Amino acid sequence: MKFQIPIGPQHPALKEPISLRMTVEGEVIRDADLRLGYNHRGIEKLAEERTYLQNIYLTERICGICSHSHTTCFVQGVEALLEVVAPRRGQFLRYLVAELERVHSHLLWLGVAGHEAGFDSFFMYTWRDREVVMDILEMISGNRVHYAINTLGGVRRDIDEALRTKILDSLGILRARTDYYFKLGANEPSFVGRLAGVGRLSKEDALALCAVGPTARASGVAHDVRRDDPYGIYGEIPFEVCTADSCDVLGRTVVRIKELGQSYNIIEYLLRNLPDGPVAVKAPRRAKPGEVVSRDEAPRGENIHYIKANGSDKPERLKVRAPTLANYAATLARLKNGFIADIPLIFAAIDPCICCAERTVELIDGRSGRPTVVRWSDLRRRAARRAGRVSKKRNVECPL
Amino acid sequence: MNDLERIERIKAVLGERAAEITNPSPQRIFLTVPARTLVPALEQLKTELGYRHLSTISGVDLGDVFEILYHFGYDGGNLNIRTRIPKADPRLPSICAVIPGAVLYERELQDMFGIIVEAIPDGRRLVLPDDWPDGNYPLRKDWKHVRAAEKIPGGKS
Repeated sequence: MKFQIPIGPQHPALKEPISLRMTVEGEVIRDADLRLGYNHRGIEKLAEERTYLQNIYLTERICGICSHSHTTCFVQGVEALLEVVAPRRGQFLRYLVAELERVHSHLLWLGVAGHEAGFDSFFMYTWRDREVVMDILEMISGNRVHYAINTLGGVRRDIDEALRTKILDSLGILRARTDYYFKLGANEPSFVGRLAGVGRLSKEDALALCAVGPTARASGVAHDVRRDDPYGIYGEIPFEVCTADSCDVLGRTVVRIKELGQSYNIIEYLLRNLPDGPVAVKAPRRAKPGEVVSRDEAPRGENIHYIKANGSDKPERLKVRAPTLANYAATLARLKNGFIADIPLIFAAIDPCICCAERTVELIDGRSGRPTVVRWSDLRRRAARRAGRVSKKRNVECPL
Repeated sequence: MNDLERIERIKAVLGERAAEITNPSPQRIFLTVPARTLVPALEQLKTELGYRHLSTISGVDLGDVFEILYHFGYDGGNLNIRTRIPKADPRLPSICAVIPGAVLYERELQDMFGIIVEAIPDGRRLVLPDDWPDGNYPLRKDWKHVRAAEKIPGGKS
């Protein structure tokens, strides 16, 4: 008796399925194409039939990793429409969770980068340290993924003195570990040899293709919504925008490690200056007719929501643009003239949702035009073989 | 440069092309440009004033017209360029020649609103499935989702 078990191409466990189509000539990619929409859930249409309060929980579910940045973006916009200002303690807690989320997302990405480069012990280290942040997030909000801490007019939970001290203590561990990763990322010859020069994106291309986040910053484009278009309390927090000029995957790694350090500083600033007072105020249910553009800096880059109100308790229109969509055009540009073996690294370097990774890639032979389907694990084996051939420079300090 | 100075410079560069320009809140500028002069206006804004980072394009169904907003980010805020096209003849010029990164957003507009983006470099479907019936544009207000009757493979046991 035969059984058929359908797994993929749209696997229920994959959060963000995507189909890549490469035209290759030998080992070299000549053209890259992608197809989206496998997981289009119609959230923008659905949001028009939900109240503002219900929509917070809907926008939280746009992404499984940067869930908080979507609700922050949405709540900021709706608060402007409702003419409500969150109390200062509420704002501090909101952006505290935002920075903790950035730390957990960047640590997650570092692990993925190490894994795709064939450096699995790096992956295990970073994911172990990520648990420190995940525990803090769980202690603050009660959840590890969907924190559900934002509400209209503030946040839903307060922190006490014991938790504040605990977070400050944990920062010491995270700082020490991150310094170690920076040393490793800059000096470990096989890791540097695998990442340097892969997936080049020139500054001109990054600007022309409207790349965002660490992808753009690693190409020398110092765009950061937190500084360019300060929202909430970011206008008063001292921090630096981290950039790199190497324009490759190594640069993107370095930018993210440096941003971790900046996030620790921001978290420490927020906790040391945490004001007293209420965490939320009551917000009205209906918004006057109007429109608002709300932006925030998610871990992956700029996140933008356009909200139009029609006087009822439901939005007339909610437009959401997540950072990964803005980086697809730049990713396709980077794949061109690269090697098949570099696809996992280049694609992982924009930090798409991790679940996209375990998918099939269709390779079309540039000469015969014949398509062949390759599994992601085969691609990774090719990548590891190629990494083994790279000549290694021992004991050199790479300029970053 | 504050918002007012920016508005003055945009007015100086665009002249009468800038039909309406408002500043409803700090760091936000809304500019209205007619659809037929959209591409030259964006070209001027990009080359002369450096507005080159397109965040996204939003479409809004307003009944008889579609409102299209091009959200540009700059160092210090956000410029939103608004244009309106009639729903009976929804044609919009492609801005990809000026802003190459706009192609995915324009493809999304075509899929979700049925707007015909003229001279788009790549006009294939982006988010809707290949077998999606023609003439169904989900984000139009008159489009309602009707759930198809559930079919159990193999029938009831």
